[in-house]
Amino acid sequence: MANLKDIKRKISSVKGTQKTTRAMKLVSSSKLKKAEEVAKRSKIYATKLTELLSEIAQKMNQSDGDIDNIFFKENKNPSKVDIVFVSADKGLCGGFNYQTIKRTNKLLKEFDEAGVEVRLSGIGKKGIAFYKYNKRDMINEINDLSSSPSYERASEFISVLVEDYLQGKTDKIVLVYNGYVNMITQEIVEQQLLPVDMSKIELNSVSMSELEIEPDDDDTLMNALVKKYIEYSMYYGLLTSLAGEHSARMQAMDAATKNAGEMVQKLTVKYNKARQEAITTELIEIISGMESLK
Amino acid sequence: MELMKLEIVTPLGVIFNDEIKQVTIPGSEGEFGVLAGHASLVSLLDAGVIVIETKESKELSVAINGGYVKVEEDKTLCVVDGAVAIDAEGSDLATALANAKELLRKAGESNVGIASAMSKIDRLA
Repeated sequence: MANLKDIKRKISSVKGTQKTTRAMKLVSSSKLKKAEEVAKRSKIYATKLTELLSEIAQKMNQSDGDIDNIFFKENKNPSKVDIVFVSADKGLCGGFNYQTIKRTNKLLKEFDEAGVEVRLSGIGKKGIAFYKYNKRDMINEINDLSSSPSYERASEFISVLVEDYLQGKTDKIVLVYNGYVNMITQEIVEQQLLPVDMSKIELNSVSMSELEIEPDDDDTLMNALVKKYIEYSMYYGLLTSLAGEHSARMQAMDAATKNAGEMVQKLTVKYNKARQEAITTELIEIISGMESLK
Repeated sequence: MELMKLEIVTPLGVIFNDEIKQVTIPGSEGEFGVLAGHASLVSLLDAGVIVIETKESKELSVAINGGYVKVEEDKTLCVVDGAVAIDAEGSDLATALANAKELLRKAGESNVGIASAMSKIDRLA
């Protein structure tokens, strides 16, 4: 029979855990609101930027037939690829980080099998810790950027990779993150930053033949715009990943709180049973004692 | 006077979206004014001041630290990196001016554009 004291101790410990998980859920839900707001507002900017880029790309496309710009040249047989993943700095958010790692691993495996050399860069403590443990080298790692995204640091981080791409050291840059969709869903996003993925850029049929471009050599504007686009994609990845992290944590902590509640209930039933059993045993002992005295 | 639409978008959201009469924009090849019916144009922007003439014929200034502009016949879209509105009737004009100057200074390179933008801001004060 379970000891009464033991059960009691267990109940209070589960209740303690429940308090923690409930507090974490509340913290995450308030942080989520903020992160969601920021992500939403910057989405407008990202959309407009993409729109602008598509229009200029389209214009160049019309004049040349093929876009003759290093940012757009797709290398069919890449020999060296950069993968950047964004994970959270903290755990206790369900499968959030694992999803990102899983997708990154899948990519790594694909490239390995194709004989492509991969350079891995990581943002966020959890993912970095995973790859360190698995002895996978990373060329670049940043902690505490994913928990407080800053545009300056994000662009600094990605410019190094863009520079390498421009010098021909790498053929491709892929970004992996777990993005926010809504309160209960996150979605893994695998985005090819460079060369710019033309399929992502909608070419609408508006006639742009009259479009003037200033400064009038196409490349100056194009290069500035593409750089901005990449930096912003990186930054946006961080923002939506942060919102995703909070929503994942909120869910995980909500489930944990519920589970703790169930456990307390079960333990309380067990405790009461044990208590009653003890009383019954004691009564039987007293009665049989009295009987024997008669 | 014919009106056109102006939208100014920053990473922190849309800061201006309304019908206007005219707007002056600090392009990288020089400042230019846009009225309704302007030819389609895409241009790089330098740090400077966007001056808007609203439909009520009021003048509104927004300091920016660079970005892009897309002009269409009836619509102008500015995508800028950072912006501070300088509202001449605002109660804390001094703060807004200080913020605007700070933004321009941060935009770096001490060039003529910034100097002229600075003097423009000073004139507003």
